[in-house]
Amino acid sequence: MGKYSVDPLWSDITPLPTDEGGPNPLAAIAYSSEYEECMSYLRAVMAANEYSDRVLDLTEDLIDMNPAHYTVWLYRARCLFHLDKDLREELEWLNETALEHQKNYQIWHHRNLVVDKLDDCTGETVFIAQMFKRDAKNYHVWSYRQWLVRRFGLWESGELEFTEEMLREDVRNNSAWNHRWFVVNGREGVPGVKDPEIREREIEFAQAAVGLTPQNQSPWNYLRAVAKKAQMPLSGLKAFAEQYASLGRPDSVCSSFALNLLADILAEEIDGKEKAGQALDLLASKYDPIRKNYWEYRKGQLGLKSSTPEAMVSA
Amino acid sequence: MAILTNSAVRVEPRLDKARHIKYWTRCLKTYLPHHYTGNDSNRMYLAYFIVAALDLLDALDTASTGPERKDHVNWIYRCQHPDGGFRMWPGTDFGERANETNAQWDPANVPGTYFALACLLILDDDFKRVKRKQCLRWLQKMQREDGSFGETLVRGQIEGGRDPRFAYCATGIRHMLRGESAGCISLNGQLVKDFDVDGLVRCVRAAEAFDGGIADEPFHEPHAGYTFCSLGAVALLGRLNTPDDRTTSNLNAPAAPQSVLGWLVSRQTEFTDPDSSLDTEFRKTGVAPNAQHAEGEHVSSSRGDATKQPIHQDPGESVGDSIFDLLVDGAGMNGRTNKVADTCYAFWVGASLDILKCSTLSDQSAVRCYLLGKTQHDVLGGFGKFPGDLPDLYHSYLGLAALSLAGSHQVKALDAGMCLSKNARRRLPKMWEAWAVEDRTDLS
Ligand SMILES: [Zn+2]
Repeated sequence: MGKYSVDPLWSDITPLPTDEGGPNPLAAIAYSSEYEECMSYLRAVMAANEYSDRVLDLTEDLIDMNPAHYTVWLYRARCLFHLDKDLREELEWLNETALEHQKNYQIWHHRNLVVDKLDDCTGETVFIAQMFKRDAKNYHVWSYRQWLVRRFGLWESGELEFTEEMLREDVRNNSAWNHRWFVVNGREGVPGVKDPEIREREIEFAQAAVGLTPQNQSPWNYLRAVAKKAQMPLSGLKAFAEQYASLGRPDSVCSSFALNLLADILAEEIDGKEKAGQALDLLASKYDPIRKNYWEYRKGQLGLKSSTPEAMVSA
Repeated sequence: MAILTNSAVRVEPRLDKARHIKYWTRCLKTYLPHHYTGNDSNRMYLAYFIVAALDLLDALDTASTGPERKDHVNWIYRCQHPDGGFRMWPGTDFGERANETNAQWDPANVPGTYFALACLLILDDDFKRVKRKQCLRWLQKMQREDGSFGETLVRGQIEGGRDPRFAYCATGIRHMLRGESAGCISLNGQLVKDFDVDGLVRCVRAAEAFDGGIADEPFHEPHAGYTFCSLGAVALLGRLNTPDDRTTSNLNAPAAPQSVLGWLVSRQTEFTDPDSSLDTEFRKTGVAPNAQHAEGEHVSSSRGDATKQPIHQDPGESVGDSIFDLLVDGAGMNGRTNKVADTCYAFWVGASLDILKCSTLSDQSAVRCYLLGKTQHDVLGGFGKFPGDLPDLYHSYLGLAALSLAGSHQVKALDAGMCLSKNARRRLPKMWEAWAVEDRTDLS
């Protein structure tokens, strides 16, 4: 006897078990009896379109065991709005559930619905900080954060500083770099890094991060993107790249990303193709051999012949 | 100094095919353990992994009998929705208590439909019981004005995120049920409209990120899974730009195929242990570690403020002679910049490269070594997410699929775009031809 079948509160409900339809169903799961019972009560109340407090409890129970159930979330939302429930309480429950099921997407969709309806985002960044403590790269949480910024216009409420804080903790957190790009460039109608002042600020920021961690692709990608969006010639980054990778000192390269950037800069120069080829050779043979085929392909695109193994050994 | 290429010294581990077959046969024939309960509503996709894996291992016919496979096919059709499309599992069907007012809680599901059709195809079903016209009409309603697709339709409202996974599944359904024709088609004498292909292409282009990868939505972080779904979708629509195209078309996607390629090859990484940090790499460069890299935890925090006090090291002093040229035993793929390798991304990245016709630009031998030497489970068969992890269905199937794309001959050839054997995909044109004849007869 399960907990619903012995509960007088549920005595009026005839549970509705799932019908697999025949022998040898695919991907059948060894459900616990608790789950099977909960599911058959859920099916019964959904079939009856019941919106009640006990239904809210039941959906909590089911979501805890199977958060990927795609209609139970919609059903719960309808129930909440129908009963005009306190949405703050819902958020509290969601906090616990999200911390427990980190990778679930539906939880965040539901949170969107609730916070949108509340029309108030108080406390959201505090909760997000809690989530980031567990996983600072959680995709759903970063996506939700972007939604919050747009929905509540939080562009200038410390969001840029927030990305700095996250990057101070982990300068390799690409999600935080991405969020910075969004904060700077994602707002409708703002010039972003096309504004020279902002461009300089962002270049300085990324260059400082490279200084801390030269072999960190995120700030290098960021630098390139700033240059591109600001329509600044890549050659403006040449001196900086050469601090970390110079053809004059082929044994002392300390960033493969600097070397790659240098190759792109050289390729744009008049008569620079051979030199670009040298940079690509260094990547293929020594500094990034896992991508050897790609560096060879890039040489091919410059109209240069790919290196023979002998040439690579002498590189 | 002598430089050896990685592949020259690598000894490639073997696929323990017998153990993998055993793993998947167990998944097919016995109940999945209770910890799959959280995936109860994804059962059609678990079913697809099981059937597709046994097919890749060429063991579908030996793992089950003809009558059993008929039962499997019947179960898939049991999940078909009366108004077209499929459910993910029978759990939303109210059976005898189904009526008009509770129909809202029992919608067809876009990924459920894709995986059901893919499963049927692998099981060599003739699609005769598929409600083709209803399914295609429903599919058209699953697209939003902005071109994106949702997961379910509930009381006229498209539910689910703006997620290229749904778009990918939608294009797969369209491909299987319509063939290669675009625009309006006639089915049993009735016109069935196409969905908005241009709108979907625009969605993909808009989500190309500043660093070359593709995200689920504009400004979100690019991700290898979303990159695959986006490329796969436009490839199935015949709207793909590849890096080797002389000119890229504005009607196609991605807008910057070279950037996507650069981002994809950057996914290959020797960092495979989620519990170790990248400190070793920092040591190689002579720079003091600034931060922990491991997913989900930061142990050390930074010294210095990246914004105000640039600490430029002197590159001249920082580098030893032998820093970068470590010999590695394989390198898998990560899903985002600066994350560790994970079995499934060997597929998402490998398949994306394959779709762009650039699969040899990654180090495929290193991918095979990573999968076979690090994440293959040597007792249970299957693959785990990270080295030493227990196998699960998702990583075990995508591991096999990735292995096929990386050039292993121990599994059947994979069609990257549909993530099933080439063999299975080749059955489609025959069905399209049969439908064409039927549809013509209906018209006359
Ligand atoms: Zn994975």
